[in-house]
Amino acid sequence: MDKKINVLLVEDEMELAVSTIRFLKENNFNCTHKSTIKLALKEIKNNSFHAALLDLGLPDGDGLSLIKEIKNKNQETGVIIVSAKDALNKKVEALELGADDYLTKPFFFPELNARIKSLVRRLNMEENKKIVLNELTLFPEEMKVLVHNKVVDLTSKEFSLLLYFISNQNRVLSKTILGEFMSSNYEDYGFSDDLVYTHIKNLKKKLASSDCPEYIKNVYGIGYKFLVD
Amino acid sequence: MKLITKSSLTFISASVLFFLVGSIIMYFSVRTIFSSNLNDTLLEKKTNLVKQIEPDNVERFYSNDVFVNKINSDIPSSFSDTVLIESGKYILYRKIDFSYFTSDQYYKISVLEPQKKTDILVSKIVIMNVGLAFIFFLILFFVNRHSVNNTLKIFYRTISKLEQFNLNNNDELHLDSAQLFEIKKMNSVIQKMADTIRKDFELQKEYTENVSHELQTPLAVINSKVDELMQSDNLTKQQMEQLAILMETTNRLSKINQALIFLTKIDNRFYTKGSTFSVNQLLKEQLDLFEESIQQKNIKVTLNLLDTTHIYMDKYLAETMINNLVRNAISHNNDIKEINISIENNCFIISNSGDKLTFPSDKILDRFSKSTTNKKSLGIGLSVVKSICELYHFELQYHYDGMHHFSVNFKV
Repeated sequence: MDKKINVLLVEDEMELAVSTIRFLKENNFNCTHKSTIKLALKEIKNNSFHAALLDLGLPDGDGLSLIKEIKNKNQETGVIIVSAKDALNKKVEALELGADDYLTKPFFFPELNARIKSLVRRLNMEENKKIVLNELTLFPEEMKVLVHNKVVDLTSKEFSLLLYFISNQNRVLSKTILGEFMSSNYEDYGFSDDLVYTHIKNLKKKLASSDCPEYIKNVYGIGYKFLVD
Repeated sequence: MKLITKSSLTFISASVLFFLVGSIIMYFSVRTIFSSNLNDTLLEKKTNLVKQIEPDNVERFYSNDVFVNKINSDIPSSFSDTVLIESGKYILYRKIDFSYFTSDQYYKISVLEPQKKTDILVSKIVIMNVGLAFIFFLILFFVNRHSVNNTLKIFYRTISKLEQFNLNNNDELHLDSAQLFEIKKMNSVIQKMADTIRKDFELQKEYTENVSHELQTPLAVINSKVDELMQSDNLTKQQMEQLAILMETTNRLSKINQALIFLTKIDNRFYTKGSTFSVNQLLKEQLDLFEESIQQKNIKVTLNLLDTTHIYMDKYLAETMINNLVRNAISHNNDIKEINISIENNCFIISNSGDKLTFPSDKILDRFSKSTTNKKSLGIGLSVVKSICELYHFELQYHYDGMHHFSVNFKV
């Protein structure tokens, strides 16, 4: 996992692009940014990417048209659509054209981060499918986690939470972000604060009982941080 | 009052007045004509009489229809009506009075002519005329009624089309073409108006959706900046907390926005894929999603699923409807912590313990009505349910009797 992940960002909203680039770089991604379809097409021809983040409403067309080009060039490039339109038919259209994921604006960076990582893991078959962090070993496909090579029994939500933390290590994750992550499609706003607290409490307890150091730190009044030195 | 009744009534009252006044005028005018005829006859009789009369035989002329009376002075010749009683009956006569003068005496001579015959004639003529006019009136009445009715038919068709016209149905208004100028004019004005309203409505809907979509990107920018700031190491605790609130509020704004887009989509009939499924099954799936929240809050859920109601509608909307109702029952629960759900007689009823509303209960289904105690609520979930129910003509009702009861009747 030492190899840097190359990401192509196609986004015309400059401020959002600037923040996204900074965020991706901080998280050890290589990021190339283009703001139009024309420029993006040129970039796709010349370079190969692990993942592409495509905005739908671009000045010179719809980002959907890039999906085919990207996949033709390299089937293993993961395509994530980032759109303000949360329409089912748009999603279906994008996925049918070959997109791998669909993220609705406004999104949270940790969510984007987790999605890119998960996508790259899925698409790069030859890469080992486990994530190792000190004494922790995670197998995302099987939702299995080992601490000191011993299985820790986690519920699926606790496992997703741990994976999310590891994907966004050393970042402050606010309760809002974690709540959004924990809520399913339906179970939306205003419901998940207590659940987040309970799940994290349980996760911490289970990890602690397996002699795992306390990575998940409480950032008082704001949220949590998965701290790895 | 219907137009046809109104016009008939006016017609009838005008006709009755006309008949009444008309027949009286006619009676008297015909009578005047006849009495002037009688006058001529009387004048003729007078001339004959005067020819025959001699000073010594004046009294001899006295008969049934000629009266001779002595008088003291001269009188002018005059016509008048008089009534004689003959064998107990009053008989009307026309009479001419004139004076005759012998050397020593004035005589008043009256010649009479019965009016009985002319009276009968007058009545007959008047009756005949009135009868004719009545038949004419009847024909006119029915012809008029028929033509008004015919005209109104087009008018009523327009009205009934307007009644069925629903902006939300996306169908245009098509009015019949009419021949009558006024109806044609009315139809064209209405048509123009309806088209304008429809266009404005479409534009407004489009506008709402576009604005909401346009808001998402700036919100994404805010989110990204706040998240960036939050990672800074040199922030005070207070600054961090403020950032957390900023992020929370932005998220809330985005949720409201998404909910509004969703509501607009329901109203725009975006979700039209229908399928048949069991409400029980749907409820169980949705309850599973809330299992953790229910456990967390320690709420006791009682199910009373009596029949297996199947409904035909868009699956996503059905899920959303049940989901919002269940979520509402969970989040607005109080210390009693109870939820009862029953399905019977095509009716889905969900009841939850909860405090009395802090706003009027008829506002509960309106957008953004929410109690002052629940800060986290967006106040939009129930209006989504309302919109979905309206779309499928389900009956959604609410009442409170210590518990909040929401019922959806699928077959009204």
